[in-house]
Amino acid sequence: MNELQMLNISKSFDKVTVLNGVNFHVKQGEVHALLGMNGAGKSTLMKILAGDFPPDDGTIMIDGKQYTFSSPLDAKKAGIGLVAQEVDTVLFPALSVCENIIANEIIDTKTSPFLSWNNQKQRAKELLRQVGLEMDVNKLVYECSLHEKQLILLAKVLSSSAKYIILDEPTAPLSTAETKTLFQIIRKLKAKGVSFIYISHKLGEIKEICDCVTILRDGKVVHSSPISDITIEQMVEHMIGRTYKSAKKEKRTLDETIAFEVKNLFIPKTKTTVNLQIRKGEIVGIAGLVGAGKTELAHSLFGLEKTSGQWRINGKEYTISSPIEAIEAGISYIPEERRKQGLFMNESVQKNLTVRLLSSLTNFQWIHRQREEKLALNLIESLKIHPSFPKITVRHLSGGNQQKVVIGKWLSTNSEVFIFDEPTKGIDVNAKAEIFSIIQSLAKQGKAILYLTNEFQELLDIADTIHVMVDGKFVKTFSAEEATHEKLVYYSSGGETSWHKLPS
Amino acid sequence: MAQTAVVTKEKQRKTSLLQILYKHGTLLAILAVITYFSMTIEQFFTYENFSDILRSISIVTLVAIGITFSLIVDGFDLSVGSTVSLSTIASAAALVLYRQEILVTLLVPILLGIAVGLLNSLLIVKLKLPDLLATLAVMYIINGIQLTYTKGFSIYNDMPLPEGGTAPGKFIPSFLFIGQGEWLGIPFSVLLMLFLVFVSHLFLTYTKPGRLFYMTGENREAARLSGIPVNRYRTYAYVISGLFAAIAGIVLASRIGTGQVSAGAPLLMDGVAAAFIGISVFGIGKPNVIGTMFGSILIGVLLNGLTMMNVPYYAQDIIKGGILVGALALSHIQKK
Repeated sequence: MNELQMLNISKSFDKVTVLNGVNFHVKQGEVHALLGMNGAGKSTLMKILAGDFPPDDGTIMIDGKQYTFSSPLDAKKAGIGLVAQEVDTVLFPALSVCENIIANEIIDTKTSPFLSWNNQKQRAKELLRQVGLEMDVNKLVYECSLHEKQLILLAKVLSSSAKYIILDEPTAPLSTAETKTLFQIIRKLKAKGVSFIYISHKLGEIKEICDCVTILRDGKVVHSSPISDITIEQMVEHMIGRTYKSAKKEKRTLDETIAFEVKNLFIPKTKTTVNLQIRKGEIVGIAGLVGAGKTELAHSLFGLEKTSGQWRINGKEYTISSPIEAIEAGISYIPEERRKQGLFMNESVQKNLTVRLLSSLTNFQWIHRQREEKLALNLIESLKIHPSFPKITVRHLSGGNQQKVVIGKWLSTNSEVFIFDEPTKGIDVNAKAEIFSIIQSLAKQGKAILYLTNEFQELLDIADTIHVMVDGKFVKTFSAEEATHEKLVYYSSGGETSWHKLPS
Repeated sequence: MAQTAVVTKEKQRKTSLLQILYKHGTLLAILAVITYFSMTIEQFFTYENFSDILRSISIVTLVAIGITFSLIVDGFDLSVGSTVSLSTIASAAALVLYRQEILVTLLVPILLGIAVGLLNSLLIVKLKLPDLLATLAVMYIINGIQLTYTKGFSIYNDMPLPEGGTAPGKFIPSFLFIGQGEWLGIPFSVLLMLFLVFVSHLFLTYTKPGRLFYMTGENREAARLSGIPVNRYRTYAYVISGLFAAIAGIVLASRIGTGQVSAGAPLLMDGVAAAFIGISVFGIGKPNVIGTMFGSILIGVLLNGLTMMNVPYYAQDIIKGGILVGALALSHIQKK
């Protein structure tokens, strides 16, 4: 019986149960979708399968033989292959395509330290042909396109004769045409008896390419069936589980004046343009999965990317091509990676908070220290930053308090527009509530607010209008009353771009 | 009373020996070195010797301030040593070969120093080359330029010219005062150093541009997103570095009274070591001018003492390298 079986797998990290008795079966020559929201346990399950760490409980059987993997190498030897989402992290960019593909063989070979280049190149070409790629194997990997890199990685996985291949979000960086090519290759390999575990948020694609689907929620399997037995709507329901009743928000009557408007904003990475309007005091949410282009949108709005478009803030026209111009126009940006992009970690809270305000604190460039400290204390108090010492180094603060410092930097400036990029990433529930109340009070002051996140629940809690973003485009817009978690998941997963209608 | 309370509290905190060493290591080292040399070398603890030490320290400190600025913006400038040489040659040439007065003699090397800084920032900021490699290349270029210009010969009073006769100009007294003069018994170069240290310290600590230099170095990405023109500040830092190297070159030319080729070469290592020692002075953990000055005092005293103990100059390089390694290790320990 040729089958991969993960039986009764359980795993906990620090008393938090991530997987709880999961059974997962993949037959030979099958493409099996693995679905689940963030934190459902997909990656943990796949890491166990790839040998990253052992399960607390449960067994792995491959083709009737029981395995315990104590390293990724064990998993590889048992026929498990992994095509990671971030292909760049697993390839050697400065080596040639050939060297990358046969890297496994070089590492594993215990016989001769000498390599026959002709043989290796022949072998690399052969493997590339299996994934439908005709290219010069002497080319260096960093010169290849993302699509090529992915196929090179697939060829590399095939070189170690993998029978069960994990594809983690394989189509996230691909264009439609490239996705179709990938699907053809998957079908061809499938016919040869290779099985795939297919992880993706794009439900339409899953309907198109997969034979079976297993859905995880809170560390348990909630559904497993052939793909034909389930609709996209049902998949969404299983992933979310309970229908979440949003805490009834007070209905806010908003000013009709448009505070912020951008027309024909070009997003270089996805090569799309968007139009966006935010009313005075409105919180506009952008819902999108990882890779939907949210951060790229924020970067374009803030002048961090080479872009074009027309900005209009409180009736005044701007063109913005640098953060300095964006700030002068009245835009503030709270970036996604606060440690890397938002904070001066080894400087004090005070210096972090006043970095934008120094002009108002100086006489002939001389910083008035008492005024600076007073201003910092005011901000610390109004933001409830804890501990409340202006001189403490930011590094010593918790994630939530660090985030308040990042926001605080912009509060006393003349900002009219606030862009929040995943502002609650990695912070606890209390801090999240505090950040929300800061955002709401900014809205009450009549600021225009853009809130980008893949935590859709947050948007249901806070946003007045929600745009769903897929591949750099707004595909659907909801008002706060219309939006439900299901709808957001459905549309952000590309629910309406009907993949199953594509010719195969 | 209150002070004793603070001290006991300090003790209760059980500061480890390492932390104390880290915080006050440089000062302790300076004291230890001075005490040791005073006891073992007869002529060490004399007015003449100290004035001599201070003069050489003043030149190293000027170079090291420039390096400190490049370190503050998270960069590095290896070209300072050869810029000192260039500046020395330029001022000597202006005086001896072109018979210029004090103004031009000072202006030419200073403009050359600024030009080197602009070249460095062009390579590093605009062309985005790695700072170490870019300034290494510039170091060689500048060194080559001053050697080519002098054909490898030093410039001195009444030197014979290749086309016959002797050089028309000479080192004028007003120029020599910079490196050899005294004011109230204190060497002028030391006063100049103290003044520039003081001004740089105030600038970096209490002014907006100073703050933004540090912010740029601390996290360039965050600084850019906060609307700080980071490339402008990085350019300023390299220009300031070139400028201070040029001033150091002027003082050096004035002190030795000739334009010696490649005279600045050994100053690179001294300056780098001083700036890195400076990071650990008082446990500040960041490049700072006051610390840099203490760093060059330590190096200056040590080199002077070793010379008086007849340790050959080539063996002193071993000590210098060892000090730099120690300073780097100290600042690394603190980061952990």
